[in-house]
Amino acid sequence: MRPRRMAVPIALLIAITAACSAGGGESLRIYTSVTQGTVDSVVEGFAADHPDVAVEVFRAPSGELAARIAAEQRQGGIGADVLWLTDPLSMQQYEAQGLLHSWNPDGSSIIADEYRTSTFWGTRLLTMVMVVGDGIDPPATWADLTEERFEGRVAFPDPGFAGSSLAVLGYFAATDGYGLEFYEALAANGATQVNAPGEVVTGVAEDRFDVGITLAFSARNAIDNGSPLAIAWPTDGAIALYSPMAIVESGGDLTDAEAFLEYTLSFDAQQRIADSGWQPILADIEWEIDGLQVTVDWEILFDRQQDLLAAYRSIFGG
Amino acid sequence: MADRAASRFPQSGGWLLVFAAAAAVVVYPLFELARELVTVGRSSIADTFAAGGVWVPIFHTLWTSVVATAVTLTLATAVALATASFSPRKRILVVVGMTLPFLIPPFVSAMSWVAAYGPGGLLDDAFGLSLPGLIGSAGVVTLLVVNATPLAYLIVLSSLDARTERDLVRAARVSGATPWEALRTVTLPMLRPALIAAGAISFIMSANSFGVPAVLGTPAGFGTVTTRIYQDLVLSADPAAFDRVLVLAAFLAAATIVVIGTADVHSRGRIRLRVEPSGPRRGSSGGTRWSARLITAYVMATGLLPFVALVLMSITRGVGLSPVPTNWTLGNFEEVLDSGAVGAFGTSLMLAVTAATITLGLGSLLVVLERRRRSGVGTAAALSFAVPGSVLAIAVLLAYGSVLRDTVLIILIAYIAKFWALAHRPVSGSADAVSPEVFGAARLCGATPATAARTIVIPLLRSALVTGWLIVFVFALHELTMSSLLHGPGNETLAVSVLNLQQLGEPTVTSALAVLLTVGAALAAIPLLLLRRAPVDAGRAQ
Repeated sequence: MRPRRMAVPIALLIAITAACSAGGGESLRIYTSVTQGTVDSVVEGFAADHPDVAVEVFRAPSGELAARIAAEQRQGGIGADVLWLTDPLSMQQYEAQGLLHSWNPDGSSIIADEYRTSTFWGTRLLTMVMVVGDGIDPPATWADLTEERFEGRVAFPDPGFAGSSLAVLGYFAATDGYGLEFYEALAANGATQVNAPGEVVTGVAEDRFDVGITLAFSARNAIDNGSPLAIAWPTDGAIALYSPMAIVESGGDLTDAEAFLEYTLSFDAQQRIADSGWQPILADIEWEIDGLQVTVDWEILFDRQQDLLAAYRSIFGG
Repeated sequence: MADRAASRFPQSGGWLLVFAAAAAVVVYPLFELARELVTVGRSSIADTFAAGGVWVPIFHTLWTSVVATAVTLTLATAVALATASFSPRKRILVVVGMTLPFLIPPFVSAMSWVAAYGPGGLLDDAFGLSLPGLIGSAGVVTLLVVNATPLAYLIVLSSLDARTERDLVRAARVSGATPWEALRTVTLPMLRPALIAAGAISFIMSANSFGVPAVLGTPAGFGTVTTRIYQDLVLSADPAAFDRVLVLAAFLAAATIVVIGTADVHSRGRIRLRVEPSGPRRGSSGGTRWSARLITAYVMATGLLPFVALVLMSITRGVGLSPVPTNWTLGNFEEVLDSGAVGAFGTSLMLAVTAATITLGLGSLLVVLERRRRSGVGTAAALSFAVPGSVLAIAVLLAYGSVLRDTVLIILIAYIAKFWALAHRPVSGSADAVSPEVFGAARLCGATPATAARTIVIPLLRSALVTGWLIVFVFALHELTMSSLLHGPGNETLAVSVLNLQQLGEPTVTSALAVLLTVGAALAAIPLLLLRRAPVDAGRAQ
């Protein structure tokens, strides 16, 4: 047993030495919650243009990523040069706390106003649509989800877990004819919250539900794999949210970070994003959408998120 | 008490090591977390508890954990007692079968149950049957029990293996006690330390579970403290949300410590039963047939069928297609292999072996030392086990992030902090079986302390040691939250692959990874389970 007991101090010693000698590298650090394939492809394209810049990526789901950033903020500063997130809510927080670099990237002016601020820019769009099971007469509008024929057969992601679903909540809450009453009507119709957009797709594919609200990306993936599903694009508009990128203000040299952000907004990177399955933010890249896309007023949602979530929970629980 | 003759030096050296490790790995990170909590201030704490509906998830967590622990202990003890009366060959089958649900990664356990028993699941497709109440509180409690029972079972069984007093039961029966009286007056008191250890682990596991309430509770609006913590974590760019995470995690840890601390205090009284070792055991086959059938049914229902559902999902092209040969594919496995999971498996394996070995060493050392003098280290280890993984990872980052960020070591520190109690409790639940008299007798006969430990203590505790190691190994291999928050470039763990695949929303690919992981864990576990056989006789030969 004795050699094992010595393992702790020895391992500590070795690792501290290793950590100290490894520190101080000059690499570009990216923290992201974007799907791995997309990040890998964009980083690969950037590396081809900038072979001298070493890029390190830390990828984690939104919750874990936010937690890591929160811990690092309280212990000496965020360890990232670039943040690439799934939705704007956390970015708005970081912006409000003055953590982000304010500047004017090349190529950013062609991005639509609703997809950028002075510190972060949309890189791709996530679209929330309806997904229907095999042989189900598809609903036309979002409001059709409250029809009697879908009683107990509707699924959607819990806005407390999924940023995309929080965006949907924000959109409906601010839209005439919907409001929180829409969620009350969904609840009255026996709609079910699940914890992720992917679970909506699974539930509809396995016939636990007839129809659901989910990411077009997840629904398309399942359809491509042969799952018995179809996308129902609401005539009153699929809800689009944008995946923003920003540079962390560090006081140091931000040249590489700026180059990476500008590259991500370039035609080449945008094509790579499209190839990885996500709608690019640049309108001139070919991308087929099946109908109207509507956007979320993030300013309002940012101010109201706590109240909205509380109101939502009083309807659906959790 | 011949071990008093042992020189003081190794003892104080041992204490020094245990205290240093506890201070570095458990106390310092939790202290940093507590400091954050102090800056939160009273108003935020009050806000957290005043906020709409936070008491509802707290209540859900407490009652599901208490009920799940009670059911788990009853079930695990009953099966362990039945197992002890089986013939050696049957024993091995039962032990392996009972361990199967533990080898299925917890991040797919709820999903595999939905796939097996839910509407549109395997049973539904085959016989039109689905389990009512799987979605909701009943399903949550059921899955908590299914996940905790293998551990509780192994702990109780290890303790039975270490017992030299078993013949007392026979003595009691010969003297006219009914089976129930023998159980109540002999067996259960004898198992008390093991039951307390198993209960503590079951309770903490249940209160800490995220995947089960997220999948089975959410659709019914049944939130728990852990699901609420994750929701606040998603919003934790907002300092107020981060504060709520800290407050809720502290509350969860405090509630756990009240439960575990009470149990620890009650475990202090020593067990009164002491008899001389006697002749070898005999397996009795009569009257055990019905219990064997029940156990078989349980293993089929909780381990085999969900695993079959998982395997079928992993070889199906797309979710929702019937698992018939025309829809079969190996593409999901190819996608797993392409996702970098193989390299990540190496990192996770290395971390799991290291964490299991270190925690077992520290846990055993603590048990040996605490025979003389109690310390708070065991309770501190339970505390860091009780803090949800995401928050423990934050604590470790606060403590060591500036020096060790992105290193494997920071993940290892988090694992040791989290899993120390898992290695310690099984050993402490069996340790009182090694009476000082036996050890002293060996020393009187001229054995050195090392020889006495090697020939008596370790053989008696072998089953518990193997159990402790195995539990930590599998837990670390399956761990998702901490390593996904702490990893750095080049040391991605399996968690990173799992979460990547989950984000793509293709449960077929996630299942493929889970199947590979289950098989991998089984390859490691089954030889170890065989190793824990024939425990007591070596000790008796002395």
